[in-house]
Amino acid sequence: MAKRSIIQIKDLKKVYDLGAFKVQALKGLNFDIEEGSYTAIMGPSGSGKSTLLNILGCLDRPSNGAYILGDDDVAHMDDKELSGVRGSRIGFIFQSYNLIQQLNVVENIHVPLFYQGKDISDHYDHCVKLAEKVGLADRLDHRPMQLSGGQQQRVAVARSLVNEPLMLLADEPTGNLDSTTEQEILDILDELHGEGRTLVIVTHDDAVAERAERVIHLKDGLVDQDIRKGAAKAVAN
Amino acid sequence: MQGISFIRIIGVGIKSLRLHKLRTALTMLGMVIGVWAVITLVAIGEGASHDAQEEIKSLGARNVIIRSIKPPSMREQMQGDWESFFRRWMAIYGLKRTDASRIKDTVPGVTRVLPLMTKRMTAIHGPREIGCQLIGTYPYYPEFTQAQLVAGQFLNEAEENSKVSSCVISLELAQRLFAGHNPLMERIVVSGYESSQVFQVKGVLQERASIEKLAQLPDSVGQTIAANVYIPLSSFKALYGEKNVDRSVGHLKLEAVELSEIRVEFDSVDRVMPSLPLLSEALNAGRDERDFEIIVPIRELKALQKQKARDTRLLMYIACISLLVGGIGIMNIMLATVTERTQEIGVRRAMGATRGDITIQFLVETLILCLLGGGIGVVGGWGFAWVRHHLLHTTTIVTEWSVLVAFGLSVMVGLVFGLYPARRAALLDPIDALRHA
Repeated sequence: MAKRSIIQIKDLKKVYDLGAFKVQALKGLNFDIEEGSYTAIMGPSGSGKSTLLNILGCLDRPSNGAYILGDDDVAHMDDKELSGVRGSRIGFIFQSYNLIQQLNVVENIHVPLFYQGKDISDHYDHCVKLAEKVGLADRLDHRPMQLSGGQQQRVAVARSLVNEPLMLLADEPTGNLDSTTEQEILDILDELHGEGRTLVIVTHDDAVAERAERVIHLKDGLVDQDIRKGAAKAVAN
Repeated sequence: MQGISFIRIIGVGIKSLRLHKLRTALTMLGMVIGVWAVITLVAIGEGASHDAQEEIKSLGARNVIIRSIKPPSMREQMQGDWESFFRRWMAIYGLKRTDASRIKDTVPGVTRVLPLMTKRMTAIHGPREIGCQLIGTYPYYPEFTQAQLVAGQFLNEAEENSKVSSCVISLELAQRLFAGHNPLMERIVVSGYESSQVFQVKGVLQERASIEKLAQLPDSVGQTIAANVYIPLSSFKALYGEKNVDRSVGHLKLEAVELSEIRVEFDSVDRVMPSLPLLSEALNAGRDERDFEIIVPIRELKALQKQKARDTRLLMYIACISLLVGGIGIMNIMLATVTERTQEIGVRRAMGATRGDITIQFLVETLILCLLGGGIGVVGGWGFAWVRHHLLHTTTIVTEWSVLVAFGLSVMVGLVFGLYPARRAALLDPIDALRHA
């Protein structure tokens, strides 16, 4: 498989200016993420995990260093450009699902396309296919309130795929789920990885990290360990 | 950046508003009541003013009405001395025919003068007896009063001269005296204190309006009550003499008034006001007491129009205040909504929504509230006016400007009061917003 890097992080730093003093959350990270890879980012709280997630998700900008996503340097984009990148290049999966209550399953899946000016009537079939892919073919017009936690997270996964993103970025995707459902969601993620999608999961759960082919451990704002176990994982599966 | 269909944004707004139907309805209520109130109040005011103006116009904008009234000295309480007793017992006052001719001769711009002699009588036909007013006047009475002849003819010059005992009766008297059958060519008896007289009905006249609503004064003779019998002035004079004496049985009272009313017609509306001092002068000549009143319809009309402009301004202020209150209510709810939906805002931002997208979304939601509320208010106000006008038969006129102003203000309120919550939503940090539970 051709391993093109879709993320290049170079000397990434993030400093929070709290007025009286400054907090250095990220102290200079360097790593690449290749296309089609499955990476887990782990680390204790305070390690800079959430900060890195926000920067990777283009929700925040680094204070220093480079972040190349695809072919673009997103480190220096303005708010509007970042919104565009989030909507077209990144598929988010959150711990608390974060579906929009007033929309049904299909409409929720469509949301990222909506903000690219793509009308739901033109992409309805595409959205329905994604709902079917995550096993919700019979729940298309249900509201989030009418779905279980696992089902809601499936909708979120389908939503993260709708814009054909460069990368799926998941933040503790199974944190709110029981172990059975957790396995189901992780199986879906494995399946997506099998299809050649690039996954980055931020987690503190070893069971989740175990599925990834690479685990990046953060500690005090720096990369502590970067373990690749691609071959071993393939066997285990 | 990208063109999101505006209709889709409205769709998103409606979906959000439908999530909390009761709250949406209550929030709109302020706008509904505001717009409804403006349209209804303006329509009621416009209707009342229209009625009043029509009434005044029916008196003739070019006309001035002079009526005999009992002078103050004759209205005083009994003083005990014989003179005052006599003055009240035998009251001789009022306008004279010489006043009419003097006005015609000395006041510039006067085209015609219409004297009226009146007397309280009883009209009798068969078994029916109706209290009525006998009016002696000239053939052009209908033109002056804009009364309409509904049957037969009015008095003409020939009768004026030949003194044939024919009369015209008012529509109300015809209805009450003849109860449905045709009064034309029928004979009626007009009976008073000193004599009874037979007249042949040759026409029925419908009075446009009475001046009673305009100026109601006690003890004014010749009130144009609706049951009227009109005869030529010359017949009146021949029958009842120059001095028209009104005796009230049991009251030990005599009143002698020559003319109860003089109507003066000017050649143009603009001539009326400047000529009033001369008119007063002509009337005051040879009088030591003021025993008449002058009613100037055009002056009343102008006063009414001024009053209407004031009322309209007042209504505008009320409208602005009620819409302001409604707007504040909407802003309050929208601010609460933004807080409540912080997480949704975070999700939308993560899914690619720009700050502009979020601003527009919340602004559109506020606008939908205002437009819907305003729309319901317009329909309600209009409907209320329609019911009042067509079913309750009270003149109610919905004016276009009131609808435009009320609706326009509700949209303005939506924009102004929606902008702040919308900006607040847009400026939320997506990371904080996402973390908000």
